[in-house]
Amino acid sequence: MSARRRNLLILLVVAGLAIASVAVVMTHSVKRGLDLKGGVELVYQGRPTPQQPKVDSQAIDRALEVIRKRVDAFGVSEPEIQRSGSDQITVGLPGTQNAQRAVRQVGKVAQLQFYDWESDVLGPDLKPNPSDPNVTGGQSAGQAGGMPYYDAVVLASKRPPTANGGKATTNGEYFLVNDKQKKVLAGPADVTTDLTGDLPGGKPPPGTRIVKVNQGTIVVRGEKNRQTKQAASNYYILNDAPALSGTELTNVKQDFNRSGGGNGAPIVTFSFTDKGRSAWHDVTRRIAQRGQSQAAPGQPPTASFQHFAAVLDGELVTVPYIDYQQNPDGIDGANGADIEGGFTIQSAQDLAKLLQIGALPIKLKLISQSQVSATLGKQALSQGVTAGLVGLGLVALFLLVFYRVLGLIAVGALALYAMYFAALIELIPITLTLPGIAGLILTIGVAADANIVIFERVKEEIRAGASVPRGIAAGYKKGLTAIIDANVVTLMTAFILFILATAGVKGFAFVLGIGTIVSFLTAVLATQAILATLGRSSILRSPAALGAAKRRRAIRFDFMGASRWFFSMSGVILLVGALAIGSNGLNFGIDFESGTRIKTSVQRPATENDIRAVMKAQGYNDAKIQRVSDKAQGKYVFQISTKTLQPNKVQQVRNALDQRFGIGNNFSNTSIGPTFGQTIARTAVIAIIASLLVISAYIALRFEWKYAVPVLIALMHDLLITSGVYSLTGREVTTSTVAALLTILGYSLYDTIIVFDRVRENVPRMPRAAFSQIVNRSMSEVLTRSLATTLCTLLPVTALLLFGGDTLKDFAFALLVGVASGAYSSIFIASPVLTHWKERERVYVQRDERIRGENDGLVPAYAVATVAGEAVEVEPVAPARAGRRRRGRVTAPEQPDEVSPEEFDDMVADIAEETGDGAPNGEPDAQPQPVPARGNGPRARRRTSSTSTTGGSTPRKKAEPKPKGASKSKRRGGRHGRNR
Amino acid sequence: MGMLAWVMMGLALWHFTIWLPDRFWGGIVGAFVGALIGAVVFGLIVNGGAIPGRHATDLVTALEAIPGALLGMAAVYFQGIRRERQHGTGVAGLPRR
Repeated sequence: MSARRRNLLILLVVAGLAIASVAVVMTHSVKRGLDLKGGVELVYQGRPTPQQPKVDSQAIDRALEVIRKRVDAFGVSEPEIQRSGSDQITVGLPGTQNAQRAVRQVGKVAQLQFYDWESDVLGPDLKPNPSDPNVTGGQSAGQAGGMPYYDAVVLASKRPPTANGGKATTNGEYFLVNDKQKKVLAGPADVTTDLTGDLPGGKPPPGTRIVKVNQGTIVVRGEKNRQTKQAASNYYILNDAPALSGTELTNVKQDFNRSGGGNGAPIVTFSFTDKGRSAWHDVTRRIAQRGQSQAAPGQPPTASFQHFAAVLDGELVTVPYIDYQQNPDGIDGANGADIEGGFTIQSAQDLAKLLQIGALPIKLKLISQSQVSATLGKQALSQGVTAGLVGLGLVALFLLVFYRVLGLIAVGALALYAMYFAALIELIPITLTLPGIAGLILTIGVAADANIVIFERVKEEIRAGASVPRGIAAGYKKGLTAIIDANVVTLMTAFILFILATAGVKGFAFVLGIGTIVSFLTAVLATQAILATLGRSSILRSPAALGAAKRRRAIRFDFMGASRWFFSMSGVILLVGALAIGSNGLNFGIDFESGTRIKTSVQRPATENDIRAVMKAQGYNDAKIQRVSDKAQGKYVFQISTKTLQPNKVQQVRNALDQRFGIGNNFSNTSIGPTFGQTIARTAVIAIIASLLVISAYIALRFEWKYAVPVLIALMHDLLITSGVYSLTGREVTTSTVAALLTILGYSLYDTIIVFDRVRENVPRMPRAAFSQIVNRSMSEVLTRSLATTLCTLLPVTALLLFGGDTLKDFAFALLVGVASGAYSSIFIASPVLTHWKERERVYVQRDERIRGENDGLVPAYAVATVAGEAVEVEPVAPARAGRRRRGRVTAPEQPDEVSPEEFDDMVADIAEETGDGAPNGEPDAQPQPVPARGNGPRARRRTSSTSTTGGSTPRKKAEPKPKGASKSKRRGGRHGRNR
Repeated sequence: MGMLAWVMMGLALWHFTIWLPDRFWGGIVGAFVGALIGAVVFGLIVNGGAIPGRHATDLVTALEAIPGALLGMAAVYFQGIRRERQHGTGVAGLPRR
């Protein structure tokens, strides 16, 4: 297939995809995430139970299934339920505003256990005493008797562990108690860190201690008051050996008590499985027989009635008696049974649904919970869209100004990219979150960067004398390697982020990954087809249309010579950063520290002290209150930070604030438990190390291993400088910051790859040059490109920083610092390190020796030749053209007085071609040598003692003034400060 | 946090080796490794093998890395000189200038 046909085909495909994208965008809608739509997100960590001693993949899968059924049963539309890491489950409930109820519905284990009450309830001697009403509660079992919580926990902790023949329902539970105040401060918890993770130093405060209630014993709360619905204050110690569990129930329904004498109260009815029916019959028979045996003459039978207890997740639901007169042989479960537990219709329905779906196979610990109001979601979306549009506009403007017609095509490609991406978001569908929007905006930069890399190369080729079509072809061919390398690295970091990160950051990583692929297609394939098609048209006939009319004044800065100063500057910045880290540390957000953050606006005027007073009244004396400026939310907007609060406590705070100041719909909160914070911190470190390793391996493979080390050093430099800036400014470090740091790794590498790619290209083209000269040359060639790509990335990032909401600003700040540092480190850290290291290689040491010998002990910054006693700059040799005999290098021979016939012929051919005399067949597209002839410079002579080159390959025809950097370097003594 | 401060200090000091003659064993990268290992090892020794946590890190923690980094780089430097003398060569095994 000819190139023309191929391009037309690509254009057809591009146009077809564009039309299809428009159709998709018009017929589908974007699936918004919780942070844009409003709702509740819950993150649970699986914990083992005696029946499921290990939280493995299957257990999590079963738990996911149960949760899915529960969420469906409760009618939440478009829930997002997914596994996160090895033992965590994230549940997103869009549109849900009652976090407390959501927690009740989703994460409740729903372990219903039936106990033989009198034989399992334990007295002060930790032994059952069925006949002692002080222990059992007598006829008011479950309501009377028992003991205060503290006494029950401390007493229960003294009982030795027992598995009760595998019937025990816990592995033991921990409580934080204050012996002086006789209070249970926290618990029950499966692990001690759940109790202390929130506390300073992670240790129990003075005067408190952790006690463990061993396996085989549980402390249950008494039955709640059926009239007042108030929770009981008495607790019982039970021998944890249930006779029957909720798994043996079927046909669970909510109903009303309509039996004879029934009060019409809501109840939960159920039937039994065969196994359950038998167990039910056994336990009720045993209870009936024990009642009968305890009946004393002269006493009413009710006095000796024995009970069974239904316990749901550590709370007594009901403790009914068994009438041994009516059921002397127990109760056959053929007709099922019911529980009357002082339910409301809602709570009875909820319990029925939970029991119907079944208990969770593992315990779920709520480790993070966040709630976003719909209003806030809308506001965040609006800010994200504004930031995206401004970013897109700025990038488009930059491209148009800098690249003119090429820029116009690039802008077209960006529009295509936006269209394709919008279609993909709706088609896959990708749930769009705030971090996802950040990723999307960043990929605008990626797409533009690819165009810049190619366009600069195209301009370079055209300025070097190539015709427009040839320049375009060569530009794409040569620029592609760097783009692929950079995109692969971005994809790898996105993949690592996606695998390791939490849900929000996953969205960012996914969008970044997809965006990178799509941007590659539009920025490279589509623009190439357009340009190649238009290449011979009048629009692109003039190089001026491409911004390549004038030969740009070459940048001749001695990068390597100046690197010692830049190194020192970086050293000082890092020194200050290290001292700041030592003295200030980093301001970790609640993502890492754990705690609860509430952001709300209040309707009536309030000060920070007013809010603090409300929090104090709620018992949160250490709450930090901050008034924040957020006009979109209202005049009085506050951020409240405190220790981790459970959803019911958050609700209490909300009610208290509402009562005092009135709050509208702008109430959002995030609670992060210590476990979740630790997980985030651990995965962040793993992600950064994994990214560094993968990137190093890739660079080592694509270049050589010596190129990977400077890259690693430069990346460390960028990450540490960003950390230092965070420490100095006191900005909060969040999960978004970590995601941004990982993205910085990819972006920082983009610039480094561009420089290293050119170094790699120039190494064989400058076979006599010192490595520092090769690097100086390469950097001077790609500096504009590096600066342009950096600017193009910084533009959308700045838009994010200025117009994005809180989350987007978090991303943007880290990216702003990191991308700027990345561009700087590519030029002034990675390249000098590579130079210094490579120059220790034998071949470069020898070149160095030779060049010094020819230049009074100095190494010029740029390769120079002496032509007729004048120092002139030399250009790299162009690679041999296809279809032409490969020429030998045109270099100064080791014996300058002798030039081989072949070299002489080559020189003649070069000069003839460059002066235009020898363009084959007068073909206008003939690619000239990199150094076009201008003027009548000195000609190469067969035998000359006046032509010699130091490092370069082809002397310029026209003697130019000595490069500034070169002469500077000489004055300073050359060798860029590293002496041997 | 202590580790971050040490590594940062080690890296900061390493930047100034650019002013020294390139006689480090392994060159500038050898100096880098020496600075980082020196900073971390010295920090660990001073802190009895423990890495100061977030709340235990202070200005002194960062300063603790300075002698370690300097010692690490000095060790690499003198090892470089020793090897040159031993082999009678400069870098890349070529005769020393």
